[in-house]
Amino acid sequence: MDADLLELDVGGASKDGSQSQGVYIYRPADKFKSSGERPTKRRKVTRTNVPKTANSRPFVSLLNGDEDAKSIDLRYRTYQQFWSAQEAKIKGILDDVDSEVLANVLSFVRSTSPQTYDGCIPAALVTVGSNVSSLGRLLTRLNGQLTTTGEGGVIALESGDAPNLKTTLKNIIRFGITNTEGNEGYQSFVTDREGPRVLGYDLDLLAEYVKRKDVKKLVLAFRDSEAFDPGILADLLSLLSSWLDRIPLTLIFGISTSVELFEGRLPRSTVALLRGRYFEIHEASNCVDRIYGRIQAEQDGKFWLGRNITSVLFEKSSDSFQTPEAFSRTVKYAYMSHFFANPLSVLLADDAATTIQRDKVCEALRNLPSFRRHCEDTLEEGCAEQVRKLFEDDTFLLEQSTQWLKSGQQKMRDIFQCVGMMQRALKQFNIVKKSSISDLSIRALAGELQTSASYEDILRAIKTLDSDQMKLFARMLPDTLTASSDFAQIQADFGALLQVYQGTGPLKSGYDKQHSIVATTVVQQRVKLSKAKAKLPKENTEFTNIIDRFHALLEACLEETLIRPNDLVLHEIFLLDMRNPLKEVFSPRPRFAVERALSSPFDYLISSPGSSTVKVSARQPAAAILYQLYLESGSLVNVHDLWQAFYAVFESEQGSSCDERTAMALFYRALSDLKALGMMKSSRKKVDHVSKTAWMGL
Amino acid sequence: MLPSEIAQSISKQWPCRELQSRQLASLLGARVSSPSTIVVHGISATCKTTIVRNVLAALDVPHALVRSPECITGRHLLTKILWATLEALGQRDEWEKYGKGRCEHVSTLAVLLNECLASAFASSQQQEEPPAEQQQQPTRNHRNKFVLVLDGIDKQREAPPTLLAALARLGEVIPSLCVVLVLSTPPRPLFLQSAGVPHIGFPPYTRNEATTIILQGGPPPVSAAAAATLGLSDAVASTLYPHFVAAVYDSLVGPTASSIPTFRSICEKLWPRFVAPITTGETPPGGVGEWDFTRLLVKNRALFRQQGEGALVHHIVTEEDEAEPPVAKGATAISSSSSTNKPKSLSAASAPSPLPSLPYFPTLILTSAYLASHTPQRLDTIFFSKFSSSSLSARNKRAHHRRRLKLLSRAQLEEAASSAADPSTPGSRKKGKRTKTKITKSTLESAFATSSATTSAVGGGGGITGPSTILTARPFPLERLVAIYHAIDPNPPANPIRMAAVSDAIYAELATLRRLRLVVPAAGREGRVGMGSGGLSSGNTTSDTGEKWCVNVSGDWIGELAKTVGVEVGEWLAGGLD
Repeated sequence: MDADLLELDVGGASKDGSQSQGVYIYRPADKFKSSGERPTKRRKVTRTNVPKTANSRPFVSLLNGDEDAKSIDLRYRTYQQFWSAQEAKIKGILDDVDSEVLANVLSFVRSTSPQTYDGCIPAALVTVGSNVSSLGRLLTRLNGQLTTTGEGGVIALESGDAPNLKTTLKNIIRFGITNTEGNEGYQSFVTDREGPRVLGYDLDLLAEYVKRKDVKKLVLAFRDSEAFDPGILADLLSLLSSWLDRIPLTLIFGISTSVELFEGRLPRSTVALLRGRYFEIHEASNCVDRIYGRIQAEQDGKFWLGRNITSVLFEKSSDSFQTPEAFSRTVKYAYMSHFFANPLSVLLADDAATTIQRDKVCEALRNLPSFRRHCEDTLEEGCAEQVRKLFEDDTFLLEQSTQWLKSGQQKMRDIFQCVGMMQRALKQFNIVKKSSISDLSIRALAGELQTSASYEDILRAIKTLDSDQMKLFARMLPDTLTASSDFAQIQADFGALLQVYQGTGPLKSGYDKQHSIVATTVVQQRVKLSKAKAKLPKENTEFTNIIDRFHALLEACLEETLIRPNDLVLHEIFLLDMRNPLKEVFSPRPRFAVERALSSPFDYLISSPGSSTVKVSARQPAAAILYQLYLESGSLVNVHDLWQAFYAVFESEQGSSCDERTAMALFYRALSDLKALGMMKSSRKKVDHVSKTAWMGL
Repeated sequence: MLPSEIAQSISKQWPCRELQSRQLASLLGARVSSPSTIVVHGISATCKTTIVRNVLAALDVPHALVRSPECITGRHLLTKILWATLEALGQRDEWEKYGKGRCEHVSTLAVLLNECLASAFASSQQQEEPPAEQQQQPTRNHRNKFVLVLDGIDKQREAPPTLLAALARLGEVIPSLCVVLVLSTPPRPLFLQSAGVPHIGFPPYTRNEATTIILQGGPPPVSAAAAATLGLSDAVASTLYPHFVAAVYDSLVGPTASSIPTFRSICEKLWPRFVAPITTGETPPGGVGEWDFTRLLVKNRALFRQQGEGALVHHIVTEEDEAEPPVAKGATAISSSSSTNKPKSLSAASAPSPLPSLPYFPTLILTSAYLASHTPQRLDTIFFSKFSSSSLSARNKRAHHRRRLKLLSRAQLEEAASSAADPSTPGSRKKGKRTKTKITKSTLESAFATSSATTSAVGGGGGITGPSTILTARPFPLERLVAIYHAIDPNPPANPIRMAAVSDAIYAELATLRRLRLVVPAAGREGRVGMGSGGLSSGNTTSDTGEKWCVNVSGDWIGELAKTVGVEVGEWLAGGLD
């Protein structure tokens, strides 16, 4: 089988941990109950077994189980520390990203009322596109603002809350009251009131609440308005509009498809009850780009996601419905799996040197592919002595590796600084229409940025910069470049030139289009175009000179910085670049697995010798045999034919000793198995046939 | 007050309803003994409730009004009636006496109402007894009457079938009660199962009545500054306005049988634009004289045709709402850096594109769902099979099918047109054929023809309100969707082993598409048409073996969407090209 498919979490998972194994036999967690016993009681029974102690340390021991508790804890702590820092950044972005829309919606809610809209219900139509979760965040913040000012609150309704009108109303009332009063407040509100008991779905309750609390704005939000049953929605809206004189409602509809489609699905009479405005929430990709930029390109970064993971992440967020939250969960998983499975990740901790087990860590270090490559390179350079020292002296190795780690991390930071610079430059000078940090990062992480088109574009664009743009650009440059003495020299010359220069417009270099002259000459009835440089004023020549120097410096700097991260020594520690745990976990393939298990069961089961050569054999499980026979048939299968073929498999292998009744029992069992898997169902067309409902390989 | 006086005073505020208010006033008046039930009926926006309420207020009869659309169940309605009565009689604090404020059945209601009315009248009589010894009879009579108005009772949700008849009996059971039933549908004969119930009809307003009502409000103000500086004086406006209102009625409101509020809003919307030539100081054509109605009308022909018709259809977001609040918009406009983007960003904010922004993968799935729904299954091998796709014969075959379907569709269209033009001939034969549930070859072809006809007319409406298909999308099993997905995928995976993951990913995205009701299970769709709600169509996402699905949006729209991911729907759809 394809090795790539079977590539599992081999980063050092322990052999006993069944959670981290790719294939295992499922055993129910409840060991107290065997299959014959009666089911557990519904009522609460106090648990007899003690709470798991394992919770305190979710990570398992690596390095063949030789890792000690301290290191495990350290790995876990480091993970928590890293991730909590990143999580805070993500949260900041998520809070910030839709603040403009929030302000607009808030002003809409405050400024509109049924009176301003001739008795129609004010309705904000928020188009969220595929960015489904953003509305939830928006509503939470809107609710926060409205409740703190005491104006009212937000009732967020999901389609699941609205199976029918009664339940919908009950939910609206309950959410509305619990929002400010809490659950107990709601209970007491319903029960401890004078007068007769009110039915739970009577909007009188809400009206009374509004009156008592002096609520000015009650926002009712339909989070996924497409998923609501249009009939219920129409009913509800007509009801709400008749209560509008007592309950100051504003509606918010979250629309994922389009406003026209939403309006088209509602009856005209319902549409006539609403009036309002559009609001547009930005696409998820924008947000995801920002999150990625913050996580990877910040200057305090210590751990990075590699090229493969980045491409998996962005593929998923651009191709399918994915919220920024889901994106950050995926990133979290990547972080987790690195610290969970890589024993060397302990070196990323601040106080690693004191707590680690030296011998184990050094052995692991010496086994790293990048370390080996480094040793080979050093040997070729002829420094055998140093290599020997690395092999024999643990202290020296640790010292060295700390240095390597530091320099590697610095190099990663430099790479991302360059990426950031390039992205800003592309945007600033309008070189390409759409430049996202994702494309550039993927290329940079693959070490291919220098061969990419945008790299060329930037270097070409730099030559045509005028002095104003040059000043702008100088501010974007990464620290590594600005720190160099050459740059300081150029900067000084540039400043001096600008002091002298007295023209009105910005200085142009010789590469500017204005300064080249196209001469046309007719030679032998052909038009010849020849370009020539116009004569330049003195300042411009000097500026051209500066630009040339700067260009050369930048090119050299980029050349030096943009290396392949996978060539760095010990990159395995600070760079996670395995596609697979992430891809397997976040896009599971149950159908593929079932089909594979049925069509070639010995991929999963231990086969007896000699059986793998035959395709269908009696040694395979009955369901698998039947499935393979079933694959050969058309869309309608005669059950008797199927049985004959099934029996033939047994007959051919076991000869006359084959028991027909046993085979029949197996056949029935296999048939019902396939039916349970949804592969076939009884056909209405012919009585003794079943129809095929699943084809392999789709 | 006499009924005619009441009618006069009311008609000052709500004109053209004198007859009805007089009838009501005389039936409910203090001196007469009212009939036990009165039916008030008329379509919506004919002033029924307002008149009833005001007549009752003017008569000073104790009454209670219950809006039955606000009641969710029959029980809810009965409870509300009881409370409203208690409230109107000032006995709210004594609710515990009357069934603890609970009322689950009409018979209970009758008993409880009887009790509370009796006690209320007894107490009021006792109070008034000593001083009112010499008072005349009418006062007592008046005290002994209670009017219960049930507004919109025919629209009551979850009403038991006998509810109306039972409510009509209430007045017979309780002598002092008079029930007024306000209906918005024209009543069937004897729908209350009792004869002799007085009906008061509120007919729709006639042309004269409608214009009178609108004119009563006077011309809406045109932006004051412009009117003041440039000659639209009140005098001119008041001479022009009646003509304008009549013109609006004749051109827009009358033919579409719109209601008074719509009429009013159209007038308010169009009037400033109508008189715009005067307010902006344009010189009338010919250069002499003034703007009179005819000149304005000729000038504004287009106004009635375009904006007027647009005004008839209500949209949630109207243009002036968008133009109105510039504050919020200003922020976005300022944030866009250069002035050249400004109009673009403005328009983007005001009208989001009619296409939803689905990600790549769901778009492709939706497209394949659409194709699966609109291609007959027997043609699948011809249209989607990749084995012979490049061969000449396959192409010829496909072209042949498309041509044939095209011809069929044309014939079908002509037939439809002729049958539409002549309503006497439409063959019931054809109708019957179409409603057959079993899909035979011929129905498939005819149905198919119509669907292809609509897809070929992409240039038409655009958006969702394109030509409607007679044939709705046919359901398909999921396996077919996945197979078609593989056929139309514009970027097929280089490594065919990866394909396995695709089908699993499709299911995940399909769940989201289902939540958006773009692709729905076929059973759920039928359920919605038939039984209304139920758990099937709302939240759950289970699916059975071989369950059929169906696409739930129109084709033109998907065609546009598919272009963004690089799939030309017409290329795959039978009859789509040429």
